[in-house]
Amino acid sequence: MPALPLEMVAPLLATGASTRMPNTEPARFKPGDVVIARNIHPINHTRLPRYVRGKRGTVRADNGTFSFNDTVAHGLGHQPQHVYSVRFSAQELWGPDASPLDSVYIDLFDRYLDPAP
Amino acid sequence: MNGVHDMGGLQGFGPIDREAQERVFALFFGGFAGGFYNIDMFRAEIERMPGHEYLRSSYYEHWLHAIEALLIQGGAVTHAELQARIAELQAAGRKEPH
Amino acid sequence: MSHDHDHAHGHDAPLPEVVLRVKALEALLTEKGLVDSAALDAIVDTYEKKIGPRNGAQVVARAWTDPAYKARLLADGSKAIAELGYSGVQGEDMVVVENTASVHNMVVCTLCSCYPWPTLGLPPVWYKSAPYRSRAVIDPRGVLKEFGVDIPADKEVRVWDSNAELRYFVLPERPAGSEGLSEAELIELVTRDSMIGTGLPKPVGASA
Repeated sequence: MPALPLEMVAPLLATGASTRMPNTEPARFKPGDVVIARNIHPINHTRLPRYVRGKRGTVRADNGTFSFNDTVAHGLGHQPQHVYSVRFSAQELWGPDASPLDSVYIDLFDRYLDPAP
Repeated sequence: MNGVHDMGGLQGFGPIDREAQERVFALFFGGFAGGFYNIDMFRAEIERMPGHEYLRSSYYEHWLHAIEALLIQGGAVTHAELQARIAELQAAGRKEPH
Repeated sequence: MSHDHDHAHGHDAPLPEVVLRVKALEALLTEKGLVDSAALDAIVDTYEKKIGPRNGAQVVARAWTDPAYKARLLADGSKAIAELGYSGVQGEDMVVVENTASVHNMVVCTLCSCYPWPTLGLPPVWYKSAPYRSRAVIDPRGVLKEFGVDIPADKEVRVWDSNAELRYFVLPERPAGSEGLSEAELIELVTRDSMIGTGLPKPVGASA
């Protein structure tokens, strides 16, 4: 018996597989907080791109609690934590020649962030 | 990991090319439903491709690489079985006129 | 050495070897009872014929004509999009961002190809490729220019990198002069690229 028979296709595709989890973990940050993305270089799977590491941003929103891709990829458990939408100005990321108006918004796990001093 | 997949901000890839629908896409769900991987394991497997292979191959070749590797790892098929079947199909293809 | 052979195939054209590998894999898995070919056919069919940008265009047209819906859409994208019947794989957690007179939004996945499937279908090849993934975050205005979109210097560009499991959807600005159009007519103006943020809706009076 295949794991995915024909009659399961429509329900599977319609339901999906959200990684959102109950908000049982405390949020270390809130909208408006200034944060710095950690300068970490995990050898394993991570959803923290190099271009924001060590950069200073502002929390736009708390998206809620999700399971942590970095650990799920390696069978190390969900380690649920808050995921924040963080705004990085173009000049912060790319230097003074970048547009003074533009920005990149990216979703960062609680564990990727430190408060800005 | 610091791999070539982490592309934000890199320069020199040239203009944006504007194109392939595959069985690979559907096979992803077969393996997923069979419990051979979750999406994070799948992405991690793609990220393990040697950089030059990642850059040289197409998007769905990345998927195929990961699905093959994870299904072999999970015992669904063996590398030998796959190679044997590929050789059979190749031989059969040569017999047929195009 | 076989360098010439390797380079004879285009960057996005699969090698014949790839096709053999896919056929071999599907055949073996089917023979072992691990996959059902009819199920695979149904998956391909779903994303070829049933799920596509027309879904997202309906969301946009509804938001343009119904201010209360638009408010719900911006407050909780997943819930409002599900009201129209669109939900599921790669659209479980949606965030809708609105283009305005002062802000233009654009979506990318620098790490892979994350894209809101239930509203837009599967992503185009360019979205998943190195040039877009690398340049969208560092040179959005240059990218937009290549797509034929000129953003004035005094308008803010926001690039959303879908690196976690939230999926982003751009609500484009309603075209000028479209006040008299029905929802069905408005749907025809909404292009896929306008919902990614690399394009704008068609102007009123443009042929379909």
